[in-house]
Amino acid sequence: MSSVILEVQNLVKTYSGRNVVDGISFEVKKGEVFGILGPNGAGKTTTLEMIEGMRQIDGGTAIINGIDVHEDVWSVRRIIGVQPQSPAFQDKQRLTEIIEMFAATYGEKVNAKAFLDDVNLGEKANAYPEKLSGGQRQRLSIATALVHKPKVFFLDEPTTGLDPQARRNLWELIKDIQKRGVTVILTTHYMDEAELLCDRIAVMDHGKIIALDTPKNLIKALLKRGFTKAQQVEQANLEDVFIDLTGKALRD
Amino acid sequence: MTLRQKLFTVRVFVKLSTKRFFRDRLALFFGILFPLIFLVVFGSINSGGNDISFKVATINQSNSAFSKDLYNQLNNSDTFKVSKDVANYDEAKESLGRGQLDGIIILPAGFGDIKDGKPSGKAEVQYTQNNASAGQTLVTVLDGTFKGINAKYIATQVPLSVEGKALNENSLSSFDYAFAGLLGFSIIGIGIFGPMNVFPELKKQGILRRLHTTPIRVWQYFLSTMLAQAIIGLVSLAVMFAFAIAVFDLHVTGNYLEIALFCVFSIFMILGIGLSIGGWASNERQAAPLGNIVVFPMMFLSGTFFPRFLMPEWLQGISGFLPLTPVIDGIRLLTTEGKHLVDIGAQLGFMAVWMVIIYLIAFRVFRWE
Repeated sequence: MSSVILEVQNLVKTYSGRNVVDGISFEVKKGEVFGILGPNGAGKTTTLEMIEGMRQIDGGTAIINGIDVHEDVWSVRRIIGVQPQSPAFQDKQRLTEIIEMFAATYGEKVNAKAFLDDVNLGEKANAYPEKLSGGQRQRLSIATALVHKPKVFFLDEPTTGLDPQARRNLWELIKDIQKRGVTVILTTHYMDEAELLCDRIAVMDHGKIIALDTPKNLIKALLKRGFTKAQQVEQANLEDVFIDLTGKALRD
Repeated sequence: MTLRQKLFTVRVFVKLSTKRFFRDRLALFFGILFPLIFLVVFGSINSGGNDISFKVATINQSNSAFSKDLYNQLNNSDTFKVSKDVANYDEAKESLGRGQLDGIIILPAGFGDIKDGKPSGKAEVQYTQNNASAGQTLVTVLDGTFKGINAKYIATQVPLSVEGKALNENSLSSFDYAFAGLLGFSIIGIGIFGPMNVFPELKKQGILRRLHTTPIRVWQYFLSTMLAQAIIGLVSLAVMFAFAIAVFDLHVTGNYLEIALFCVFSIFMILGIGLSIGGWASNERQAAPLGNIVVFPMMFLSGTFFPRFLMPEWLQGISGFLPLTPVIDGIRLLTTEGKHLVDIGAQLGFMAVWMVIIYLIAFRVFRWE
């Protein structure tokens, strides 16, 4: 199928004799948001890093847009964008300069202000990153990862540590990026985030993929097995109350 | 990517990191003000070191007019630095015992009393065994002073005499040595201490790691760091030159363009050491001990704080092989000894060999995280 942009087969990572990623295989379709879920230590980040070419692949293959990561990591780097778990930037550098710098690593010159406007940071164009809030830093990091118009965008736990408003804002941003035709692959351990954002989900535990489907199908399958919640679910939860009281407007 | 694009990456990185340096007060302090403080301290110690002077206490126990006159003369002399803190003989003796004085000049009771129309008497110089050479020189100097006075009273023809003549051609003052050494120290600061502290921090925050997800190559990153540090280094060294010329009367006989080129080459080479240490270490705890092991021998043996010719010969032999030695020698030769780049082939060749070795190591051990 030509619409497959990432193909992972039997991927293995071994640390001191233990397979932290244990022969996983999956495909990601062009233009979808693909989520890798799992508890801490399940192997999500390691999987992502092997596909990004940041970690040695100990077994199996990862092919992005027809390019084998192991064989031609430099070509892969040109078509992927990476958002690290906790983005950091050097002090005393204006946001426009940071965008300019990342574009330069691809040998490109861009309109930095436009990229900042895209992630709602236009007003901060001349500020230094040490003055940014956590959510703003995440958005800046997203902007830096998109300067070269990547085909695949990797995000590692993008909303960890953000307040509800900033999380919602980031979700919208990710949806927006998907609309531009970028394939998004993210890890998370927030189920609401996965359900809302992801077209398909792979659930990982102990280095293996234990389920892979759309969020709806995964829930349906569970119900089919006769699952019932111990308590009747309310039509709203506390987070809905919080958002209703404080509004969706960004606070940073 | 074409080579032009790759060099564009380098150009942008150089521009941005230079800007960042000049916005960062702490970096400015350590990069420019800190070497200047060293220059002031070591410059003050080393300048005016040409005059020999003795720290003495003078005790006048005589009431004669001649003795009082001599006492005043001694107190105003340049050769004798008369301690003002000492009020009496006991204090002088205590001061002498602590090594704060080179000697005590005593004009005993009756010194300078007129006999046969001439003042006469015997002054006494006291010094300690530990400082015998200074004490004996002091006796000789005082003896010479007395001979001059004697000549006024007794006309004598002296068959043998000696006259000193100062040669002022191109001689090196101790400040010239100190200045070249301090420039070397500054280059160590820019080239080694800088990256040694910055790189582990960048790794800790994952900043280098994030860069590694882009197509940037290690050589691009190294080259841009080299060029940025060279620009910063030239500014820092230029400030030192200006200061040394204005305050310490440094006479630059060489060509500034040649000096600048040589300094850039020196910064490139020494920076390789910083890139190796900072590039290899994954945190400060790895970088600091290794950095000190490498830097301290160079700092003391290559002539940063005191000139190498003061060392025993075997040590000069060893220290001649350190990478910083040709840097400091070269700077001194170009700046104050009127040499040109073509004359210092030995230093340049030696630095080129070190440059190759250092950068082979730097590229091999570099880690992005």
